[in-house]
Amino acid sequence: MSDTNLLFEVRGASKSFDGRAAIVDVSFSAHRGEFVAVLGSSGAGKTTLFRCLAGLLPMDAGSAHLNGRDVAAFTGRERRHIAVVFQQFNLVSRLSALQNVLAGRLGYVPAWRGWLRRFTRADELFALECLERVGLLAQAMQRADTLSGGQQQRVAIARALAQRPDVIIADEPVASLDPRIGAGILELLRSICHAEADGVAVICSLHQPHFARQYADRVVGMTGGRIVVDMPAAAFDDNALRQVYGHDTDSSDPSQSPLQLSTQEAALA
Amino acid sequence: MATTGAQQAQVLQEAQRKGNIRGRLKLAAILVAVLVFYVVSWRLAQIDPAKLVNGLPKLGYWLSQAWPPKLDELPLFAERIAETMAMAAIGTTIATLLALPMAVLASRNITPFPRLYYPARWFLNALRGIDSFVFALLFVAAVGLGPFAGVLGIALHTWGSAAKFFADHIENAQLGPLEAVRTTGAGRNTAIVFALLPDILPVLLSTTLFWWEFNVRASTVLGVVGAGGIGMELKNSMDLLDFSRLFTIIALILVVVTVLDQLSGWLRRRLV
Repeated sequence: MSDTNLLFEVRGASKSFDGRAAIVDVSFSAHRGEFVAVLGSSGAGKTTLFRCLAGLLPMDAGSAHLNGRDVAAFTGRERRHIAVVFQQFNLVSRLSALQNVLAGRLGYVPAWRGWLRRFTRADELFALECLERVGLLAQAMQRADTLSGGQQQRVAIARALAQRPDVIIADEPVASLDPRIGAGILELLRSICHAEADGVAVICSLHQPHFARQYADRVVGMTGGRIVVDMPAAAFDDNALRQVYGHDTDSSDPSQSPLQLSTQEAALA
Repeated sequence: MATTGAQQAQVLQEAQRKGNIRGRLKLAAILVAVLVFYVVSWRLAQIDPAKLVNGLPKLGYWLSQAWPPKLDELPLFAERIAETMAMAAIGTTIATLLALPMAVLASRNITPFPRLYYPARWFLNALRGIDSFVFALLFVAAVGLGPFAGVLGIALHTWGSAAKFFADHIENAQLGPLEAVRTTGAGRNTAIVFALLPDILPVLLSTTLFWWEFNVRASTVLGVVGAGGIGMELKNSMDLLDFSRLFTIIALILVVVTVLDQLSGWLRRRLV
């Protein structure tokens, strides 16, 4: 309570499917202007955790609080405070980039505006500003499915911005993109996180530890549905890396192996 | 020397192919069943080629009576054909509008009332299972002779077909965008309209066109039961054994249906 910058707090979140625990007693917090990376190998429970945080899945136990309010008690419209960025972008493919960004205003406007896709000039201007921020103003009128993967993810981030959220939850936002494009997306998320006057928090799951080191302020590591590491990104060393991924990481899939990323690892193995 | 995994797999596969007696028996049983099915069907359908041979001259005589066509009643025929097309258009449009909310109810993945999923599907199957012709029969008795009974018949049957088709389409749709729009704070229905409708709209329009065209063809016979349209004149001609009139009408229907078919095909290609 003394921490005025505390924005988002997860306490004892648990979820199991058919008796098999996906996440167990997960607790961590995010502060205003903080970029929290969640690391963990496939099956560590990242996606389940994120779906719980985004309100797409009810938790079995535990809670998430945004500004001291239990997220589970949010009404439909209040969900706009938590914006979600997906691995598969999830744009409406036949709508323009601008229309997709305007979807971020649906939590504010009366329902008929959503039905007719008629938004106020102020909302349209704001949506265009969001597109400008992600560098896609020129593509505003282009149909979403004609954009490249990286551009689509930028539109999805603009949609998140249009929500004026307190926290952006990004589930593997760069897993479907090549590394160079992915780095650009993370750069963008970090700048949003650090630039907002009142500061949003970004909680972002990643496969690649070096991205976490490079872009995140804090790293949370998960193994078997539990949090095993929670530390400043600067302190996230190879020791911590092994705690998250274990010793015998499957190196047959280089895209998911953290070992390729540090030469010290090879020496240790 | 140890065999490779691939060699072992090959041996296994060959053994399976040769020694699969049960598989062969199963195949033989299926063939016999199919054969029995056709023999029984042939009997039930009372197939009698001799009757066809005897009847052909009759048909030929009627055909010879068909020329010259009767064009003096053309205005009446035109009016009846317009009536048929109007019936089909109104019936199909009502059906499509009713089908949209019903399709949401009958889509397992987005229905707001999962308990109503099966009842909704059964209801649609019932509508689909009863032909518009049968519905028209009932409605002629209920609302009287005329095109309105035909419209109701077309609307009910097409409602079932269209809603089932849309629902199947929705069940195969990617729900990611819908989920994403939900997380922006949009209501359930707003999210469906915003995220799902744009993707199914072209399919919706193109199938509606298709059903209109289909219903124009189907409703040519609705007149036979008194439900309005060109079918009424068709039946009158047959009752009077006025073959030149009958074939004139058939030729007209053919022209209209062909033109419509081309038109709706062209429109549908532009939509999808």
